[in-house]
Amino acid sequence: MLRAGALVAVGGAAVPLTGCDLFDRDGPEPPDPLEPLVRESRDLAARYRAAIAADPGLTDRLAPIAEAHTAHADELQRVIGRPAPSGSASPGAPTAPAGRNALLAALRQAERGGRDSAAKACAEAPGERAALLGSIAAARATHLEVLR
Amino acid sequence: MIRRTAPTDPGRALADALTAEYAAIYAYGPIGVRLTDSARRDARAAEAAHRTRRDALVLQLTAAGGPVPPDRVGYALPFPVTDRASALRLAVEVEERTAAFWRAALPVTGGADRNRALAALTDCALRATHWRRAAGVTPLTVPFPGRPV
Repeated sequence: MLRAGALVAVGGAAVPLTGCDLFDRDGPEPPDPLEPLVRESRDLAARYRAAIAADPGLTDRLAPIAEAHTAHADELQRVIGRPAPSGSASPGAPTAPAGRNALLAALRQAERGGRDSAAKACAEAPGERAALLGSIAAARATHLEVLR
Repeated sequence: MIRRTAPTDPGRALADALTAEYAAIYAYGPIGVRLTDSARRDARAAEAAHRTRRDALVLQLTAAGGPVPPDRVGYALPFPVTDRASALRLAVEVEERTAAFWRAALPVTGGADRNRALAALTDCALRATHWRRAAGVTPLTVPFPGRPV
């Protein structure tokens, strides 16, 4: 009796899961662990573009870095092997803080976080993804050097 | 200096990285001679960093019992170093090439070995950026340090 009751309860709870996720081959695939890095790269690119818009005198210095972040996002997306899930576009354009020093300090902080997350992803990745993630971590370290 | 086929095991990848470090140390000899003041000091510091990586690799490969490639008497430089400009150009190239060997070690290593390879790749990329700045080369960075072009 107890056993049958438990089974019924579990079965009842499992129905919606079974219906939409667990055994439904047409359902959404699990997220790829690289997807947060794609979003982070696009967010970093947007931050640099916002900084350039706020202080065009920094264009020569910052534009190549914005392009590098976009190239990273594109390459990561290619490695994931499917287009970005809908609704995952980066949030609205970030606003750059006023004043060149504050603006560069904010970029440094974002870039440091990015460098560390790419290094962590490199350490945890399967071999076939480690080289790309290592290059991205190293690139972000060089961006910090340019921002100094 | 460049091995075109990607290594498939960690011992081979680290042995390849060691040959790159030997060549980098050699190259900083003629580079340092053509530089002065702070640039010369930076070249000495870069050479010392490559010697530190070399020593660590020799120890590690010896402890692992695998082959330890020997240093050579000389290495062919990609172009003659005749003045400050060519010295800085070679310094950039040495760091870019060495970065490629450490990057190639990432897929075949794990744990502490991979972290060391990433640290070495990052250091090479940072020094390449430093030398581009000294040479007045822009942009100062590349999107994918160490990636074969």
